[in-house]
Amino acid sequence: MVKTVFATLACLVLYGILIVPFTEYLHNRPFDEKMGYIPSVTALRIVAADHKELVAASLVSKVLMYFGGLSVKNENDILPILPDYKRMSGILHGAVKLDPYNMDAYYFAQSFLTWDVKQYKLANDLLDYGMKYRTWDWMLPFFAGFNSAYFMKDYPKAAEYYKRAGELSGSELHFSLAGRYMQESGQTELAISYLSAMEKGERNPAVKKNYQIRLSAFKEAHRIELARDKYRQERKAEPATVEQLVRAGYLTPAPVDPYGGTFYLTPDGKVATTSKFAFGGKKDNSQNDGESHERN
Amino acid sequence: MNAIETVSLSKQFTGKKRARVEALKQLDLQVAPGEVFGFLGPNGAGKSTTIKLIMGLLRPTSGSASIMGMDVAQAASRRVVGFLPENPAFYDYLSAEEYIRFVGSQFNMDASLLNRRTEEVLKRLDLWEARKRQMRGYSKGMVQRVGLAQTLVHDPEVYILDEPMSGLDPIGRALVKEIILDLKKRGKCVFFSTHITDDVEKVCDRVGVIVQGQLRALDSVENIMRSGIEGYLVQTRQHVGNQAALQEFKAIRSNEQFVEYLVPVAQFQEFMALVGESSVEITLLETKRRDLEAFFLDIVENGKSA
Amino acid sequence: MKTIVAITLKGIFRDKVFQGIMVTALMFLFIPIFASLSMRQVTELTITLSLSLISFILLLLSVFLGGTSLWKDIERRYTFSVLGLPLSRRSYLLGRFGGTALFVIIAASVLGIAAFCVVAYSSSIYPSDRPIVWGSMILCILFDALKYILLIAFAFLLSTVSTSFFLPVFGTIAMFVTGGVTQQVYEYIHSPASKTLSPFLKQTATALYYIIPNFGAFDLKLYAIYGLPLPANGLLMTSAYFVVYVGLLLSVSSSIFTRREMR
Ligand SMILES: Nc1ncnc2c1ncn2[C@@H]1O[C@H](COP(=O)(O)OP(=O)(O)OP(=O)(O)O)[C@@H](O)[C@H]1O
Ligand SMILES: [Mg+2]
Repeated sequence: MVKTVFATLACLVLYGILIVPFTEYLHNRPFDEKMGYIPSVTALRIVAADHKELVAASLVSKVLMYFGGLSVKNENDILPILPDYKRMSGILHGAVKLDPYNMDAYYFAQSFLTWDVKQYKLANDLLDYGMKYRTWDWMLPFFAGFNSAYFMKDYPKAAEYYKRAGELSGSELHFSLAGRYMQESGQTELAISYLSAMEKGERNPAVKKNYQIRLSAFKEAHRIELARDKYRQERKAEPATVEQLVRAGYLTPAPVDPYGGTFYLTPDGKVATTSKFAFGGKKDNSQNDGESHERN
Repeated sequence: MNAIETVSLSKQFTGKKRARVEALKQLDLQVAPGEVFGFLGPNGAGKSTTIKLIMGLLRPTSGSASIMGMDVAQAASRRVVGFLPENPAFYDYLSAEEYIRFVGSQFNMDASLLNRRTEEVLKRLDLWEARKRQMRGYSKGMVQRVGLAQTLVHDPEVYILDEPMSGLDPIGRALVKEIILDLKKRGKCVFFSTHITDDVEKVCDRVGVIVQGQLRALDSVENIMRSGIEGYLVQTRQHVGNQAALQEFKAIRSNEQFVEYLVPVAQFQEFMALVGESSVEITLLETKRRDLEAFFLDIVENGKSA
Repeated sequence: MKTIVAITLKGIFRDKVFQGIMVTALMFLFIPIFASLSMRQVTELTITLSLSLISFILLLLSVFLGGTSLWKDIERRYTFSVLGLPLSRRSYLLGRFGGTALFVIIAASVLGIAAFCVVAYSSSIYPSDRPIVWGSMILCILFDALKYILLIAFAFLLSTVSTSFFLPVFGTIAMFVTGGVTQQVYEYIHSPASKTLSPFLKQTATALYYIIPNFGAFDLKLYAIYGLPLPANGLLMTSAYFVVYVGLLLSVSSSIFTRREMR
């Protein structure tokens, strides 16, 4: 009896000693390890049996939790850790193969595939796939329309998507967007309205934060645009730099890029930033494949 | 019509590695209605096998069996039977009362009769106090009592009991004997297996002895008892009459008061004639016989050597 | 037979299986919390999780109750006493099966009610864009229950030929997995992607497809979760399939069980 009690106590003490480093270890494991091995979708379909929707949801939530965990870490670190977007995208694609109706997967993929990864084609293909199933959902064409117009500059296609979104939602806004995207002007404003709408409807803190950062960057860009226009109007001249606008008193306080970049004016007078509106943009310029990160 | 009848009933078990056991060989048996039949045999003789065959739990390798003229392959043949299996087990999550009611309902008893009979049999088998408890809490003997109760509840014509006394205390054994005698009085047929010859002697009309799957003896208890008489013990008073006349019969015991003789059956007449002539006084006369136990042991010994 | 059904149900309840289910069902309480992690489909996720939880519990029930019911009766020697009653083996088997199936339906109903409460609660906090089609949910749970009843019938068939519980329990699990993918394998085999496979393999697989129960047809989760219109014709056909297949399994089981020796 005494022996058993002693053994139990000893085990408890050992457990107490072990649990702290154990938790620490698990907490700091890199993404790949944390995700564990994710088998091929075909294998998953078989294993999932009649729980495909559940498995799909759990894949999405794994990605979401990973993303949420990273953004918390970034909060405390000076140097942000770049999420493994490629892997995230792969898993979300797997999820919609299991459950083609899973809106979270489309929604979340849209939130990073465009601005952060610049895979517009991939994003729209995914949305097209989703539209085949979620035939009632106006959001998918709404996203696709935004991507077509804003990133891919494919205005006829964008108008088509927006028309569809309008038909599904019955909202005038979407029809009018279809019209507005026919021209290239006012894109910053439209991005702001898109982002504001997305941010408002978002409940996931990590994704919401993402939208908030982007929104604030665009608001800053918009402020510079307004200052530039005012400068042009009053001085009848083109401002050369952003600093010039600040010094002349058109831009107070000075704009801050939440992505850590610096705003500048391109030779044709558009507002741009060295961060290209993405974390890590400064480090990796090669990702600039044909995207116009400049604002008029 | 026989209550129970078997016609060259045989059973062969095929065990692992094709090992064959001939558990029962060509059993022909008729048990009449109203008869109490004791089925005796050593362990592994084939008693339970026979009973399972009669109850349709096993299928015969050859031969057939019937109850009240109905082939045992039909479930309906069991309508007239109260059956107690060897070391019985009943749904242990039920209480004795629930189980007895369940059994009654299988015999389509109507509710009021079932109520009355349930109470009767539970009281008779001394389970009344425990009737509401789940059977998983019952002792071995209590379960055996439930087993007996469930054979009685629907008051069938035929009782087939595999070792009804096993696991019971002396009071329980006496009770079972009493119940069987009672059934006999009411003209029911009871067929039961046992190892205990004393039980058979007290309650059975007929007895069958089975050894290694073969029926070795089948006779009425009365006949067996009679054929078992070895002779007579005669006690005479010492110094009375002419003891010398009995000289040719050897005294087995002799003291100050008595002289005792063991007289074989064949010589009894002659002995008694001599007693009359010599005015010897008889104080006690006793039949000397082998009891059923000895009879049984003999058969088993012969059976084994055969 | 009715009494055997009643006795079977009583046994399951007295073995505290229902309490066990209720403990597992406590997981329903965590569903709204977990579902609220979803960005765009809290209600859909709540329904997904609830239906999967129900399905999982019913699977455990059918494997363990179905796979051990007859085995336990034989192992504990209950069959000697019960089959000594004027009761045909067939009614005994059907009664046992009926009781187990009925319990699955009872459990599904109770769990279904719990699921409804959870979904109603979740959707009251985060209203969903899609209408919640309660009827589809009921049908989904019902067909789930039917699927597991079919599985129980299969477990009974295995129990009638086996002397241990390994074959019924593991055989039932294997059948559940196979029955879940048979449709996909069939479709793969009849698609151009399988050109390289040998014709013999294809024929074997096709033959198996017709023999093995098809559980895929009973899965209505997608319809219930996203409120999609239910295929009435398909449901009718699935119901007929259920009746015929269970009838077949049970008649084979009872003829085997009738011949079986109680040693
Ligand atoms: N299921 C079985 N498989 C193989 N052999 C069996 C089986 N059941 C019984 N036997 C064999 O049949 C023979 C008769 O057994 P049975 O149970 O009928 O004996 P019994 O007379 O009832 O003995 P006991 O007095 O010990 O109850 C034995 O040799 C036994 O080993
Ligand atoms: Mg025996």
